[in-house]
Amino acid sequence: MIIALLRTPARIRGGIMLESATHVGLQVTDGPLSIDQFGAESARIGRAIADRYHRYHIETEEVDDADPLPHRFLVKVGKVGLAKLIGKESLKYFGQFDVILARPCTYGVFSGPVGGFVPKPKLCVGCLRCEVQHPDFVKVLPNPDLLKLGDSYTTHGHIAAIDEEAKKGMVPVRGQGYRGRFGGPGFDGMLTDMSEIVRPSRDGIHGRELIGTAVDIGGKPMHLSFDSNGKLSGSTPEMFTIQVPFIFDLPPGDLGTPQLASVVDSTSRRIDTLACLDAHTVARLGLDAPNIVPVLDNTEASRASEFPNARLIELRSSPGRPWGWDAAGFDIATEATDAMIGIRIHFEEGWQDRMSQAVESGVKVIHLLADLHGCGSDGTFVTELFKEAHLLLLEQGRRDTVTLFGGGGIVGADHVPKAIISGLDAVTLDLPVLFALQGRSNGSLRQRKQVSGTLPRHLDRDWAEQRLTNLCGSWRDQLLEILGAMGIREVRRLRGEFGRSMVVKHLEDEAFEGIAGYVGGDC
Amino acid sequence: MAMLQDLVDAYKGKIVKPSDALLHKTTHLIQDGMNARAFGEYEKPKALGDARWTDELILSTWYMAETGEVPDKLNFKTGKSDGGFDRLDFQFLPESDWLEHSEAIDTKLPLNRRGDKKNKIEIDIPWYGGGMSYGSVSVNVMMSRAKNAKQWNSFMSTGEGGYPPELYELKENVITQVATGYFGVEEETIQAAPIIEFKYAQGAKPGLGGHLLAAKAGEEVAKLRGSVPFVSLFSPFPFHSTYSVEDHSKHLDWIETVNPKAILSVKVSTPHDVDMVAVGSYYAGAHIIHLDGGYGGTGAAPEIAKKNIAMPIELAIPKVHKFLQKEGVRDKVTIIASGGVRTADDIAKAIALGADGCVLGTTDLVGMGCTRCSNCEGGPSGRGCPWGLTTTDIELQEWVQQDWGAKRLDNLYTAMQWRLRDILRKLGLSNVRELRGRTDLLKYIGKEAGE
Repeated sequence: MIIALLRTPARIRGGIMLESATHVGLQVTDGPLSIDQFGAESARIGRAIADRYHRYHIETEEVDDADPLPHRFLVKVGKVGLAKLIGKESLKYFGQFDVILARPCTYGVFSGPVGGFVPKPKLCVGCLRCEVQHPDFVKVLPNPDLLKLGDSYTTHGHIAAIDEEAKKGMVPVRGQGYRGRFGGPGFDGMLTDMSEIVRPSRDGIHGRELIGTAVDIGGKPMHLSFDSNGKLSGSTPEMFTIQVPFIFDLPPGDLGTPQLASVVDSTSRRIDTLACLDAHTVARLGLDAPNIVPVLDNTEASRASEFPNARLIELRSSPGRPWGWDAAGFDIATEATDAMIGIRIHFEEGWQDRMSQAVESGVKVIHLLADLHGCGSDGTFVTELFKEAHLLLLEQGRRDTVTLFGGGGIVGADHVPKAIISGLDAVTLDLPVLFALQGRSNGSLRQRKQVSGTLPRHLDRDWAEQRLTNLCGSWRDQLLEILGAMGIREVRRLRGEFGRSMVVKHLEDEAFEGIAGYVGGDC
Repeated sequence: MAMLQDLVDAYKGKIVKPSDALLHKTTHLIQDGMNARAFGEYEKPKALGDARWTDELILSTWYMAETGEVPDKLNFKTGKSDGGFDRLDFQFLPESDWLEHSEAIDTKLPLNRRGDKKNKIEIDIPWYGGGMSYGSVSVNVMMSRAKNAKQWNSFMSTGEGGYPPELYELKENVITQVATGYFGVEEETIQAAPIIEFKYAQGAKPGLGGHLLAAKAGEEVAKLRGSVPFVSLFSPFPFHSTYSVEDHSKHLDWIETVNPKAILSVKVSTPHDVDMVAVGSYYAGAHIIHLDGGYGGTGAAPEIAKKNIAMPIELAIPKVHKFLQKEGVRDKVTIIASGGVRTADDIAKAIALGADGCVLGTTDLVGMGCTRCSNCEGGPSGRGCPWGLTTTDIELQEWVQQDWGAKRLDNLYTAMQWRLRDILRKLGLSNVRELRGRTDLLKYIGKEAGE
């Protein structure tokens, strides 16, 4: 007899439908169970379930720098001025060496046997007490080498934040209030909401209640169909689950080295997410695995069969062919593999039609791509583009039949929830990988193909994996902060929840309406 | 952990109160240096300031705190954040219509408008000091602020960290804050206060609660909070006994039972439905609705929260003001705005947008030397603020002496009141209460071409 529901994971196309499903191994017995037997069996099953329980967590650990960013500050100390001060104070505080040698810095910039004569600018946090106390011989300057990193979109601020997150794996916490501009373009023009009192969930630093960050990849039917015998007759969900709503995308430009492929492979496996890699690289390095998403040109769709372990394979447009949808390529790939086939669609003119056609043809994963400044070819920012894609599928009544990935312009932890609010299921990471590994970019950071960068010369795989893991841990924890403030218990519920965001422009219109000179929040 | 152990050891002997000579040397160097910068004897520090608090705003605040006057060579009015207060200005009358300097301009603000039997409190200036807990700041800073509040017939809030015994002598000007960790909330501290402030959320980290890092939870702090020294302290979010306006009302009833005369302030942050929260608080019995905007100050908060969660105060004030007007209760409740209010100009703009008054926090700290370096939570040294402000370090906290701090704030408030009156005079208003909701007196400064 059966005394508990069999909870065997439903296998689909090489994947597991629900990771939380637990097979507990029932002991089937003949005849009725006694009360004691029932109790013992229930306890055994309960114990088995409990023992198998694993609360998802990303293990972070602070790692050293390989190629540290230029420090925030330069400290310049006039040696003559300092010598004069010591001379003057030696007379004034004769014999009181603790007073004479006392320096204004609590961070050790002036510590050591020769004190301020050889300052240690790497310890400077920019409190400026030294410069205020000794204006005649101390200067603290912003480091121009740091300021020139990045470009107009991916600023040195983003790069420094990613660097810190990848180093420490923690949520950056600081004193004092916000220091930046009021609202701003792109993601900065969106605020996330919070609930003042209604909310049972809190995780993050308090770690009490679970907030889920898992997302399902694939599609499920909008409704179930049954035959006259009451048995399922239509399609069933074809999904697998990853534990974070971000995946690694194809490294842009010239970054797709075997070294980097190896690092994103091991990191994505470790944190249970996906890594998109060029199919040739996957084949050459033997990386075929459930966490790897080989990316094939449409013209090579038949090669999908070469990746039997992949759960998802993406097709991209071939050089010289129109962007996006290629029905023939999809059909060939579908024939060649049991894996899901995803389609990469750039936000070029006509992307809406291509996406609709792809979904109509049964594509379960659409990977939308803007440029690395987060813009489509017409200049529209991704928050609007993702929203449009999401709403289009909603209008067509098939939003749940497809998973939307989106990438381009995601360079900060806050961009993840904002992109999901805009309609995505998961975001794809590109440039953050470079900066997490303390790489440096050269030139434009806008067009994927033109990105050029260098990674540290001796890229230790363990070091690099920990850096990427730290970044993911930090971003996940920051996502928890955002979800916790909203009182949302799982990230899947955030998808397309525009009401959980506030657009600064709209708020300004409401607040400043009627004030002389105000003509719209963007002006 | 090693760093924490070092700190514990240090507190047990290595770090000691500074000698008189060291105190003399350091305080004089700090104070002389601040003045030299504020008076323009040296160029502005290149690394000072940010978009919200520019170098000139910081230096002008130092100038006002030293002199009691507004500077004529520094921008003491706005920052460069490219929005909100920094894009608003006043539509002053033609000079011929300005009120005379000799005309008295009233800056008083009543805080209890409900007409009940509780304290009838009126403050001389339309602002008071926001909550900064013992632990996040030193006793010297708290006492400086409290002494100044007494001087100005205004208030300062304890924040959520207990009630240092020294404060009792100034209890008539001290607000007791009740927040989710209930640190320092005792019958005595409730009964001592003319105003009780319920903190539901904080603008800089709305929905996230509070966190005092272990390094700052020293023995004295722990004693007042009833905790174990050098153990991190969390103020959870939200109040775990409050999930509705009715629950909130019970909270206020509880205070009323302990201190029937105290008026009640409810501090909330600025979510999308802040207007509904405000009206709910009013009907629950609040006298003051304290809105804390997203760009507000903090001793420690996740960077992602400061920038992204909830709305800036400039956008929340009109929303709440208009909604309470529609509900017909606007004149029965006081709206206090905070979270990014830096200057007298900001205060006047907030009032013109619909607030009755403001709460200042960071401005007080800047007046006493803060450079907004963002290491309040401890920084790499673990000792807290090197200026002696946001620290309980035995040595560092001595850099702010109580009388010096109080005098700095007195001067700063003098200059700010002068500027507020200057604005009112140029608008032809003899009373700050006439400015409330007068958005017709504001103008929005659009971006120039190429900006």
